[in-house]
Amino acid sequence: MVRIGWQEKWTLRYAVVGLLFLALSGLEGILMRLQLWVPEALRGMEAVLNTIRPVAREPSPAELFYSMLTAHPIVGVYGFAYMCVMGAFYFLVPFLLKKEIRHKGLVPVNFALQIIGVMTCWGAGFFGLFNSLYTLYWPLPVSYDRVPLMGSIVFAVGAAVIMVNILLFSYNLFSTVLSKSNPQGYSFWQFLRAAFGISRLMKLLGKEDKSAPPLDYDGLPVFIVAVGRGSIDTVINAVVLLTAGALILIYGLAALLQTPLDPSAVNALVYKNWFWWGLDMVADGNVLMYTAGVWYLLIPLLVGRKLFGESVVRTVIMVDLLVSMGVWSHHLLGDRVQPFVMRLLSGQFVTWGEFLTMGLTIFASLATIWLARPVKFSPALKFVLGSIFGFIMGGAAGLIQANVGLNLVFHNTQWVVALHAHTFLLTGLGMLLFAVIYALIPMLTKLEIRSQRLVNAHFWFWMVGSVAMAYAMGMAGARGMLRRTIYPLPNPYQPFLAIGAIGSLLMAVGFVAFLVNIIGTLGWTNVFSLVVPERWLSRGAEAAA
Amino acid sequence: MERSERLWFGLLILVAVVVNAITLSPMVPWQKWLLWSRQTPDRSFNIEFEDYQIKLPPQGIQVKVGELVEFVATSKDVTYGFGVFRKDSTMVFQMQVVPGYENRIAWKFDTPGSYDVRSTEYSGPRHPEMFIEDAIQVSP
Repeated sequence: MVRIGWQEKWTLRYAVVGLLFLALSGLEGILMRLQLWVPEALRGMEAVLNTIRPVAREPSPAELFYSMLTAHPIVGVYGFAYMCVMGAFYFLVPFLLKKEIRHKGLVPVNFALQIIGVMTCWGAGFFGLFNSLYTLYWPLPVSYDRVPLMGSIVFAVGAAVIMVNILLFSYNLFSTVLSKSNPQGYSFWQFLRAAFGISRLMKLLGKEDKSAPPLDYDGLPVFIVAVGRGSIDTVINAVVLLTAGALILIYGLAALLQTPLDPSAVNALVYKNWFWWGLDMVADGNVLMYTAGVWYLLIPLLVGRKLFGESVVRTVIMVDLLVSMGVWSHHLLGDRVQPFVMRLLSGQFVTWGEFLTMGLTIFASLATIWLARPVKFSPALKFVLGSIFGFIMGGAAGLIQANVGLNLVFHNTQWVVALHAHTFLLTGLGMLLFAVIYALIPMLTKLEIRSQRLVNAHFWFWMVGSVAMAYAMGMAGARGMLRRTIYPLPNPYQPFLAIGAIGSLLMAVGFVAFLVNIIGTLGWTNVFSLVVPERWLSRGAEAAA
Repeated sequence: MERSERLWFGLLILVAVVVNAITLSPMVPWQKWLLWSRQTPDRSFNIEFEDYQIKLPPQGIQVKVGELVEFVATSKDVTYGFGVFRKDSTMVFQMQVVPGYENRIAWKFDTPGSYDVRSTEYSGPRHPEMFIEDAIQVSP
């Protein structure tokens, strides 16, 4: 057994729970793919599960499908992705700044609250059959003729726990970066000015305030800049979703007290704009910035060369904040009542701003690798390259649909959710998080990844499976197959659905290869040491001595 | 900015300009009437959505190839979607039906035949039932 430090152990705990959430989310994904392929496929399993659900009548297969579809992205994004991000940042930020996390007590609190929040939302779907989907389009979450009241209340509570927890996490990150123990401490306003690029802009215009601290972050690693910048999106996302959750909760509690409120008091279009503005801070904000930050950190470390074009990259980080704040209307291109100027400017043109910022980011990343040749293709570097491929493929699909003309035939189709969103999340973000785990394990434990064969199996099964699934379903979408719709048999999408289901199974095989390799690397004793209380371990060691 | 970055950035801008110009131009057929003309519709049809039901005009929807038809969709409860599909299930067009608004879209059909209508937005567990076969008849 290796001696693992306090912070390192918590990072590994976050990673382990994140991977468990990925397994749960992946299982849900496979089950839903199977149900889309063969609508009656899950009937036997659901009959057994219904015996533990506190519902008055047997739910329909569609109710079960949509409640699973509601829980699935919460588990995948706020369970898997956020847990891994929290764990990684709680190690990397203090490591790179050479100081401790400011509020260490929040590390286990964040860990527990995230699990509680995600599992509460999951429970609202699994037990409470809450089926409004993550989009929560007003007034569906408070339309109790189609959405269970208790499920709606429990989901809103779970979402609120997650969002409050994310705010606590962000506070801890900012607090750590800004704390006075940093040799180059910043005030909050200096940091905010820098995050919005005001100081950098002033410098470009020749109006630099020389007495001010290095406001353009020149004194900080570029990874920290990206984390700070992405965390602004994270905070906005949490605040906006918190307000939506509070609204749903108010309506739910009023209905529970037999004093129902009028849903039409809230304008559905204004709500949709507000909701997507906040939600898109994740989809088009922190995901891209955190990803860019991790590329900027990992690639130079893995290839042993300084990041190419670092000055440009810092400017891109600044510009991308403005892009992510103005991009949300591409989710409302199907809404003809959304003002046309908003659809064209915010929905289409600003979205192309991401093409420019991500284009420069990817160029800097690939140029760094190219100029460092010959490079050793370590497990982490392979997965970094896989993630770049995923973001290129998912980004291209996104640009095609984020178009006032083409969106008319792509909106709400499988193209959007498969070829764009799932390629981003599974091939892009998923492979990036695997790269981080492969890179961090030797740093945290001084143990080398055990099997190269299993790394390769993981890489190819995951890559081929995710691309096959996304491509097949994307082609089904291009032929008119809607997302969020169960088609009765026979339907023309069966061959695509079959390939999609096979693709998801291939990914599951890759994930198992990864788990076997990681457990083999760490050893069961170290894995158990992550979940067993420290005092038990000390007693065991004393007894052995 | 190094030379290779400037070249790459220039290429990115070129791709962005060309793709946006093409997709906003009349080369995308429906942009001719959605973006580049203010033609008054030849006909208008009201479609109502409520309680998982799509209510078409009582006389049905019959149109001719090439005439400009406006669809006005309203919802009395939640958000739905108004989507028109060919018989091979490929999509002709669609829009969101936001409650509290008159949601309008104009279209010119270029091929005669029967078209299906389906709600394209999730509105609750019975959403997949919202399908009307042969809802629109397009004559030559």
